[in-house]
Amino acid sequence: MRMRGTLGLQVLAGVLVAASLFPFAWMALSSIKTLRELYTVPPSWIPAAPTLSNYVKVLLESNIPRYFLNSVVIAAGATLIALVFAIPAAYGFARFNFRGKRFWQASILAGQMLPTAAIIVPLFIVLRYLGLLNTYAGLILVYMILTLPLCVWMLVGYLRAIPVELEEAAIIDGASRFVVLRRIVFPLALPGIVAVMVYSFVTAWNEFIFALCFALDSRVKTLPIGLAEFSTEFNTDWGAVMAASMIMTLPIVLMFLVMQRVFVNGLMSGATKG
Amino acid sequence: MISTPARGAAALRASAQGRRRPDFVARHHGPFFISPALLALIALIGYPLIYTAWLSVTDDRGNYVGFDNFNEILDDRVTALAIRNTIVYVGWSVFFQVLLGTAAAILLNQRFPGRGFVRSALLVPWIVPAIVAATTWAWMMHTEFGIVNYILVEAGAIAEPIGWLTNRDTVMPALIAVNVWKMFPFVALMVLAGLQAVPETLYEAARVDGANLWQEIRFVMLPQLRLVLASVTLILTIWGFNGITIIYTMTRGGPANRSLITPIQIFKQAFEFLRFGEAAALSVMLFAFLALLTLAYLRLFRAASED
Repeated sequence: MRMRGTLGLQVLAGVLVAASLFPFAWMALSSIKTLRELYTVPPSWIPAAPTLSNYVKVLLESNIPRYFLNSVVIAAGATLIALVFAIPAAYGFARFNFRGKRFWQASILAGQMLPTAAIIVPLFIVLRYLGLLNTYAGLILVYMILTLPLCVWMLVGYLRAIPVELEEAAIIDGASRFVVLRRIVFPLALPGIVAVMVYSFVTAWNEFIFALCFALDSRVKTLPIGLAEFSTEFNTDWGAVMAASMIMTLPIVLMFLVMQRVFVNGLMSGATKG
Repeated sequence: MISTPARGAAALRASAQGRRRPDFVARHHGPFFISPALLALIALIGYPLIYTAWLSVTDDRGNYVGFDNFNEILDDRVTALAIRNTIVYVGWSVFFQVLLGTAAAILLNQRFPGRGFVRSALLVPWIVPAIVAATTWAWMMHTEFGIVNYILVEAGAIAEPIGWLTNRDTVMPALIAVNVWKMFPFVALMVLAGLQAVPETLYEAARVDGANLWQEIRFVMLPQLRLVLASVTLILTIWGFNGITIIYTMTRGGPANRSLITPIQIFKQAFEFLRFGEAAALSVMLFAFLALLTLAYLRLFRAASED
């Protein structure tokens, strides 16, 4: 393979890593500094007196724990309901040929690029009409706009990669399509489904604009709104903001680590060779 | 494994058709499986879109007013400013995202110790939630206590601290920088995948001819990456026009509307000024423009998958 000026490459790579990680590191460092230390010039690199007081403040004296719970419920709800619709749809796209298939597939792809700003007004009116503003159900429904096209699109790829022979054998043995889907396709596609779940969950977890428009009550507000609330006040408590940012980011990072392990499990190779 | 004639025939047919799935079941199965999801999407997306179109030609009481809302919003001086801001923001963001992302991908395609770690680290900006990235950068760009000003002043790059997000002339470049930082890893990922599909023989041929790294990039890599770069550019553009989170969190469109982009204007028209008709008119125009870009993307996508 190519080996050109390894040292130069490593210097460049070092710059790249520093640029990518620095804001994250600065967030972590800021979250354990005292307010006095945060507001000193020049700023200190390493906290002189590391403290967890910012975390205590966020966890005990703010709405963040409640928002965390709301985020979990809404992101999980939007993901699970989307999967119920997406798994059969992806199976239909991956396994059958029918009229209009290309058009519908393209529509799903286009659905992922929808400008959310273009539909917030009617969504607001409809949700208000249905009494779903400031409810979990309303937000879960709205988040399916993001998660459903995404889940279908990603799952089609995973299902196509599953060899069709196992299903054919089952069908010849007299199994119905639903049994095939539940007993054969679902277990084989499980690693893919988990990956899609994580991706969809993260998308809903990070979403900001829908939450800003449709969650106006602290009973349903999500974490991104909580962060924005800290920052809007005249005198921002940056220590608390950075601690809350850490609390919001860590689950996401953990999930990506878990997902990597899911990908590594080569479940497929075992199933076809047996 | 027991082999029956029927199974053998099905397997034969399947392998003859390669990846295309055989028609060994009735044709109506496909629509049956996809229809629940399609109906849900039509209700969730199709209906609001039609509703937006209807709102854009009616007043608060639901009376048809023709193009009044469009005329009103287009006459607003803020609209032209927002459109210009949007083009500047998206244009420069995409340019630097693609440039930096491609450079990072070429770097990661070389072999050097620690490459795996660099690849993982590079993903961090992309994984971090946009709102967290925006908040953290807002803190880093704080005029008095921000680390950015401190580093730049110490390095002698600037004489005194700059109010990055409060100064009319620096707010846009600052926001573009954050957006570039957030999204260049995505480009790097896509381009890296494209680079790894380039046959090794092409590099060898270039090296036999005595090509240096720059010539390799220019004559081997870039031509092979054309389709990837085109689709990445388009999708980043579409996302850029949709992007509200970073700007709304850091400046809310200020100061003096200097960072107001069209999606934020829509949000403000609707939820701050409660002018749903005008917000809808603006939405329709944004949607029409993005629909054209999306159509172009679908074309490219089809070309790519048929390659």
